[in-house]
Amino acid sequence: MKTFTVREVDFSYSPIIPIFQGLTIDFDSRTTALVGQNGAGKTTLVKLMKGLLKPDKGELLVDGKSISEQTAAQLAKRMGLVFQNPNDQVFKTNVLDEVMFGPLNIGFSKREAEKQAMNALRKVALESKVAENPYDLSLSERKLIALASILAMDTEMVIFDEPTMGQDFAGKEKIKAIIQELKAEGKLVICILHDMDFAAEVFERTIVLNQGKVILDDETREVFSEKEVLEKAFLEQPSVSQIAHALGFEKSFIHEAELIQFLKDVQRLNPDLS
Amino acid sequence: MGSMTLYVEKNSLIHHLDPLVKLLYVAASIALTYILPEPLFIAGVLFITFLLLVVGKVFRNSLPIVALSMVLIFSLVIVQGFFHPDNATELFAIGPVVFYEEGLTVALGLVLRVLVMVGAFSVLILTTRPDEMVERLIKKGMSPKIGHVILSVLQLIPQMRATMGKITDAQRSRGMETEGKLLVRIKAFFPLIGPVVLNSLNETKERSIALEMRGFDAPGKKTFLNEEKIYPYNKQFAGMLVIIILLAIVWRVIG
Amino acid sequence: MSTIEVENLKYRYPDTTKLVLNDLNFSVEKGECLGIIGENTAGKSTLCYALAGLVPHFYKGAYGGKVTVNGLVVRDHEIATIVENIGLVFENPFSQMTGAKQTVYEEVAFGLENMGLVRQEMHTRIEKYLKLLAVYSVKDKNPFDLSGGQMQRVAIASVLAMEPEVLILDEPTSQLDPQGSQEVFEVIEELTKGGMTIILVEHKMDKIAQYADRVLLLHEGRQVDLDTPENIFSRGDLTDFGLTPPVVTTIAKALGIQYPGTKLYPVTIEEFKRLGEDK
Ligand SMILES: Nc1ncnc2c1ncn2[C@@H]1O[C@H](COP(=O)(O)OP(=O)(O)OP(=O)(O)O)[C@@H](O)[C@H]1O
Ligand SMILES: Nc1ncnc2c1ncn2[C@@H]1O[C@H](COP(=O)(O)OP(=O)(O)OP(=O)(O)O)[C@@H](O)[C@H]1O
Ligand SMILES: [Mg+2]
Ligand SMILES: [Mg+2]
Repeated sequence: MKTFTVREVDFSYSPIIPIFQGLTIDFDSRTTALVGQNGAGKTTLVKLMKGLLKPDKGELLVDGKSISEQTAAQLAKRMGLVFQNPNDQVFKTNVLDEVMFGPLNIGFSKREAEKQAMNALRKVALESKVAENPYDLSLSERKLIALASILAMDTEMVIFDEPTMGQDFAGKEKIKAIIQELKAEGKLVICILHDMDFAAEVFERTIVLNQGKVILDDETREVFSEKEVLEKAFLEQPSVSQIAHALGFEKSFIHEAELIQFLKDVQRLNPDLS
Repeated sequence: MGSMTLYVEKNSLIHHLDPLVKLLYVAASIALTYILPEPLFIAGVLFITFLLLVVGKVFRNSLPIVALSMVLIFSLVIVQGFFHPDNATELFAIGPVVFYEEGLTVALGLVLRVLVMVGAFSVLILTTRPDEMVERLIKKGMSPKIGHVILSVLQLIPQMRATMGKITDAQRSRGMETEGKLLVRIKAFFPLIGPVVLNSLNETKERSIALEMRGFDAPGKKTFLNEEKIYPYNKQFAGMLVIIILLAIVWRVIG
Repeated sequence: MSTIEVENLKYRYPDTTKLVLNDLNFSVEKGECLGIIGENTAGKSTLCYALAGLVPHFYKGAYGGKVTVNGLVVRDHEIATIVENIGLVFENPFSQMTGAKQTVYEEVAFGLENMGLVRQEMHTRIEKYLKLLAVYSVKDKNPFDLSGGQMQRVAIASVLAMEPEVLILDEPTSQLDPQGSQEVFEVIEELTKGGMTIILVEHKMDKIAQYADRVLLLHEGRQVDLDTPENIFSRGDLTDFGLTPPVVTTIAKALGIQYPGTKLYPVTIEEFKRLGEDK
C-alpha cells in the first residue's frame, strides 16, 4: 500500500511568520481532498511534498522512506503535481511538446512518450489541440493541458492543486473520471479544492487545514457534517446539505441523488407537509 | 516568485538620495569619461563610483552585473588589442597573436568606460526603488508613457529572473535535473533560455496590460500615495555635479 | 441610452479562422448585474476584453460591430480613456498585478494615484477595500508572494477601489474559499444597489441565479439566450451548451416543484422553499 507521511514538519517563508509548526499527516490509498481557507498553507504543503520547498524541520516519507536525499527531479518519477496556476507550469510553445516533456525526462522512449501524451490529452478531451500554442488557449484549457502533462508521466502518486478552478460542468466530469481511474489503478491521489460539492462527491477522505494546522481529518461524510467547524475554517457544507438545512432538516447530505431520494420519501410520507 | 526589482532594500546615505541626483550622477560620470578620456582619470571616476556602491551597501549585489558586462569588456579588449588602426608598438605576443600598445591603451580606456557606466547604473538601480524613480520623474513633468517604458525596462531583468525560477520549478517537478553538480546545472541552463525569453515576452505584455488597465497612461493629473520625501542636500549635490562637469570642460578646453 | 450597448459584435483572434464572438447584440442598464455563462471556450473572457477595450486595442484580429460603454464607442477611444470608467478584474489574478509596486497596499494605491485622488481619500479607500476582501493583514507583503486566493482578493480590491461606473468581473471567485466567494457576491449586490453596472462571468450557477438580474448564455461565441435566471435555468436543453442549472433547480425538477401555471423552476433556495411549502 502506498503511503506518504508528513511528520512533524516546520516551515516558514520568512522567519517571523511560521506557516507550519509540527505538522503531521498520513496520506494513504484513500482519495483525499485537502480543503481550507485562502492562505491556509495547502499549496505550501504540496510543494514541500513535491520537494520544491524544503522543510526547516521534520520529515517527509514515501512508503516509510525519507525523501530528503532526493532532488525534485528524482522524485518526479514517482510523484506528479499539477500546479495551481497553469501559467507557472506550462512553458513550451506547442501542446504536444508540453505534455511529452515529463515522460521524456523520466525515461520513456520518444514513441512511448508520445503515446502517453496522446492518451492523457484524450482524457481531458484536448487531443485536437496538439499542434496549438498553449498561450493561445483559454485559461481552463491551459489548466487541463497542465493536468494532462502530469497524467502522461503515469506516476504512483498524483497531487492536484485546485484542478476544478475555472472548469465548466464537462471539465469537472472529466476530472472526476480521471480521479476515479487513478484510484482504480491503485494510485495515491490528493486534491486541493475550494469546491465543496466536488470534494464531497468524489473523495473518500477529507482533511481541513486551517492556519497551518489540521483541524478535521476523517471520512468525507463525517467531515462535511461538521457544520460549525467548517464555518469557523471559512468553509461551508455542500449545497445539498445547505438546501436540506434551509428546508428545516437536520440531516447532512453529500450527494444530490441522496437528497432527492430523501425529499421524495418525505413527500410520499407526508403528502400535505413540505 | 519574489519581487520584480533589482532594488536592494538597505538603509544607507545613497538610498536616501534623490533619484534625480543619482540619475544626474550617471549622466555626469559617463560624460566625464568622454570629456577627459585619459585612462587614469577614468579610473578615478570608477573609483568614486565603486566607493558609492560600497557606501550604499550594494557592492556585492553589483558584482554579478559587473561580471556579466565582463564578457562584453573581454571582447572589446581582444578586438581593440588586435585591430586598432594605430597599432605600431609591439608590446607582447602570445603565440602568433601580437598585442600592440596603442590598441591596448584604447582598449583599456574602453574597458574603464564600460565599467564606469555599469557601475554608475548599478548605483542608481540597486539603491533606488523603481517606482520612486518613475514617480519623481513624472512629478518633474515627464509623460507617463515614458514612465511606462522605463518601468518595463527596469522590470525586465528581475522579471526574467523570476520567470527562470518558475520554469526551473516546472522543469524539475517533471523530472529534469537542475540541482547539484555544476555540469548538471550547465546542462539544465540551455533548455531554459528559449522558454525564459518567450515567457518573459508574454509577461512583459501582461504587465503592460495591467498597467494600462489601471489607468497608468491616463491623461489627467496624477497624485501620489507617499508623501514627498525630503531629500537631504539635494541642490548641493546636483550643483556639485554640474560644477564638476563644467570644470572638466574648462580643463579640457584650456588644458 | 443604456450603459452598455453591444451591436453585431464579431471578433476573431489574429492568425485564427474561428469567430470567437459571433454576432452579439445586447444592452445593459445602469445598476444592473448581467451574468454571463457558457462552457469553457465559449468566448466569455474575450467578450470581457471587448467590453473593456483590450479587444481590439490590444488583441488586434478581425473586429466587426460596435460596443458602446457610457456613451464611448470602445473602438474609437484609447484604453487610457476607456478605463476612466470601466474596471476589469481578470480571470487570472496574476495578470492584474502591475509589478510596479512593492507592497499590496501600494498595489491598490496604484490605480488611485493614476486617477489623481487626494491622499486622504486614497488611504480611506485602500483600507476599506483591503478589509472588505479580508487581505488587510497582508498589506505589507509583496503582491507576488501571496497565495493564489489572496492574490485574487487583492486583484479584486485594486479594481474595486477605483470605484468604476462599470465593473467587469471574469470568474472573480475561482480561487476563493467558500466564505470568501460568498462575501464577494454580497459586495457585488451592494455595489449594484449603489448604481454600479456589473458584468459577472461565473461557472457557479447558484451564485449567478442569486445575484444576476439577467443572464447571457453564450455558446461557441454565439448568444443563445438572454433572459432572467429562472427562464435560463428552466431551459430543458442546458446540457447541449455544456451547462447544468443550480443544484436547487435540479432538485426542484426531480421533485416537480414549479412556479404554478408556468414551466419555470425555482433557482434559489428561498424560492424553492416557498414553492415547496405552498405545494
Ligand atoms: N490570444 C488568443 N489567441 C488565439 N485564440 C485565443 C486566444 N485567447 C483565447 N483564444 C481562443 O478563443 C476561444 C475563447 O476563449 P475565451 O478565453 O474567451 O473562453 P472562455 O469562455 O473565457 O473560456 P473559460 O471558461 O475557459 O475561461 C477559445 O477557443 C480560445 O482557445
Ligand atoms: N513565495 C512566498 N513568499 C512568502 N510568503 C508566501 C509565499 N507563498 C505563500 N506565502 C504565504 O504563505 C501562506 C500560505 O500560502 P499557500 O499558498 O500555501 O496558501 P493556500 O492554502 O494554497 O491558499 P489558496 O487557497 O489561496 O491557494 C499565505 O499566508 C501566503 O501569503
Ligand atoms: Mg493554493
Ligand atoms: Mg475565460
